[in-house]
Amino acid sequence: MPITRTPFGETEKPIMVEINGPLTRAADRPEGGTALFRACFRLFWLCLFLLPLWGQGGLFAHPMPNSMVILNVHEKSISGEIMLPLGELQSAIGMSVNDRSERLVERLGDALRMYLKQHIRPRSFEGKPWMVTLGEMKVIETKNELTGDYKELIVRFEMTPPEHYDLRNFYFDYDVILHQVASHKVLVNVRQDWERGLVSEDTTTQQVGVIEWDIVQGKLNPFQVSLQQGSTWKGFQNMVSLGISHIAAGTDHILFLLTLLLGAIQPPIPCGGGAPLRPSPKGSKKGSPFGGWGAVLKIVTAFTIGHSLTLLLGSVQWLHFPSKPIEVLIAVTILVSAFHAFRPLYPKWEVFIVGGFGLIHGLAFAETLTNLQLSAKQMILSILGFNVGIELMQLFLILLVFPVLLLLSKTRYYVFVRQAGAVVMMLLALAWMVERIQEKPNFITELIS
Amino acid sequence: MSQIAPVSADCAKEKGTAKVVCFAEAFKATLNAEQTAQLQLEYTKSNAVKWSNFPEFRPTRVGIRLGLLNPAQLAAAKALMSAVLSHESEQEGFGEMEGNLAADDFFGQHTNNPKLFSSGNFFIAFLGKPSTSDLWELQFGGHHYAFANTYKGGKIIGATPSFRGVEPSVFEWNGKKYQPLEQEKDAFATLIGSLKEEEKTTAKLRLSFNNILLGPNQDGKFPLEKQGVKVGDLSSAQQKWVKKAMESYVRDLDAETAEEWMKKYTAELPETYVAYAGSGTMNQVGDYVRIDGPSIWIEYSAQPSRDIPGTTHPHSVWRDRKSDYGGN
Repeated sequence: MPITRTPFGETEKPIMVEINGPLTRAADRPEGGTALFRACFRLFWLCLFLLPLWGQGGLFAHPMPNSMVILNVHEKSISGEIMLPLGELQSAIGMSVNDRSERLVERLGDALRMYLKQHIRPRSFEGKPWMVTLGEMKVIETKNELTGDYKELIVRFEMTPPEHYDLRNFYFDYDVILHQVASHKVLVNVRQDWERGLVSEDTTTQQVGVIEWDIVQGKLNPFQVSLQQGSTWKGFQNMVSLGISHIAAGTDHILFLLTLLLGAIQPPIPCGGGAPLRPSPKGSKKGSPFGGWGAVLKIVTAFTIGHSLTLLLGSVQWLHFPSKPIEVLIAVTILVSAFHAFRPLYPKWEVFIVGGFGLIHGLAFAETLTNLQLSAKQMILSILGFNVGIELMQLFLILLVFPVLLLLSKTRYYVFVRQAGAVVMMLLALAWMVERIQEKPNFITELIS
Repeated sequence: MSQIAPVSADCAKEKGTAKVVCFAEAFKATLNAEQTAQLQLEYTKSNAVKWSNFPEFRPTRVGIRLGLLNPAQLAAAKALMSAVLSHESEQEGFGEMEGNLAADDFFGQHTNNPKLFSSGNFFIAFLGKPSTSDLWELQFGGHHYAFANTYKGGKIIGATPSFRGVEPSVFEWNGKKYQPLEQEKDAFATLIGSLKEEEKTTAKLRLSFNNILLGPNQDGKFPLEKQGVKVGDLSSAQQKWVKKAMESYVRDLDAETAEEWMKKYTAELPETYVAYAGSGTMNQVGDYVRIDGPSIWIEYSAQPSRDIPGTTHPHSVWRDRKSDYGGN
């Protein structure tokens, strides 16, 4: 379940829930379902529950007065973020950190780092200390209608067990603020854990537990972390379903595919009026044995080669473009394809043009995989799995739509359907272009989302 | 179907639990079937623990919302609360409760969020049928207020957990001045102020507290070890201040009930401890005081205001180690 910190600093789940309990998400998932099914199901679920929440101000509305520790579990280390409400930090260490928070990191960065190092002491069950490295620190201020203003110090950190020691089972001996403030609570969550299939792009995290004073005993016990084991296979599977849901959730990708299909089936110009329409004229050698399948196969293969190439190069960050122009270019590819579907623009160069479009779409896919801080092995498996997922979903869509189009193409309505479809696509593509340039939705894009 | 309720005036002649039951039934009789279903619930522990100091920004409490009552029904509900709360002081007991209702109306207007902060967002519930023999609880609460009287065998067996807080601390609403928690605050400040230096050292807690520890969902988590200065070691004048602080909570209840609890707490006074953190004035952020006895547990914490910068507002709770929820 997603953790939520409510406007009044409560944790949504009662604090006593599974204090030292293992994460259970992986186990909750049905094992037998195919990745495809799961992705479709997840998509449905997402639409059902997230859309009504859209624009209501996020689930992380107000962390006060709790701290939060977010963990990303990698192959050999755990990185993360610590969020410390400055009011609570001031109660613990003084230094007027809340009253005078301007330029806090510049003024007191060193002292704060020293303090944090003293109070973040992960260690193995055998007592071997882990190495802790502190990264960037910044103060954020949040204004919230419900709760007023509050300030937090955000600290990036990384912790590494000694070689051969368990990464998933350890004592997270952490008492930042808690060493002094008995009423304070620290929510610990995992955001990313590749081997357990947790790499979602959204802010969903899994609650590991809460570090707090044992009021009855008057003690602050070291917090025990026991994360469920994952596996390379599970990580890979998850990337496949991420690829599937990426296509399934991207209206623009789906419509781009449809446009390609519309363009691929070009019936002959009927001469003499009565002749039946055929998808490939005069029994052309490539087209006829499979009806329109041959043309589609070529185009889809070209698109796949294109996007696989840039997905690979983009994911390993040999190629990097800012996402805004890429998103605009994707809208352009839809526009051009729609023109082509309306009236063939590049009948001979189709394969190369579509391959080129693939290069652009691949760069957008790569956005998903960058910033995951994956190891080389995990990255290669992720690229592979993600691509497999994309292909599966594309194949699924083609199998669903293409036969219908093929049947339609044998009727006299096809020309109308294709051209009407192309015009709608053009409109949508233009709407997306405007949206992505202006960075705000317009009525057409709102209508289809 | 339409059984006319006994007139409330008749209930005033009754005594003890019979009086409470009479007012409770009179209120219930004013409700329609749908409202009755909201008010009248089963006695279960899971219903009993559904109180909070938070406003109702998501469904937390059980019972019927005061905002759903018509004027006659609301008057009957208040007549019931009036019977279980005290009338000795304008700002205590029933007056304190009215102050809390007014505070939320004031706060809703001040923060421009009257949908969330409103006296209409207070809830009243009967857990179990009001009875002079069986187990039942009268539960009442909303933002910064929780009241829980548990009855069995015609006697009151629990008067806690009882949460008291307010924001802002002092305000005017509809031409009337309210200060529901000032008496409590002053009692604690006087008590801590009466301690000598070395008593203060003993009473001072090493840790800091930005909230009370035993708020909602923290039932039964009383510390094994008591901290602070032992009241038995204090002078009788100082002990009187401790008693006064206790009374600012206990004497919110009707005189008869309050007397019963105060008798017990007074007898246990020598074995009771007082501890504090912060300045001891009760008006600084982080000021905290605790009274921890064989039975009684009171915590008071001054916390920063979110909407009225530079001010504090109190959170406090009266619990009983033995009789929270009537010992259930």
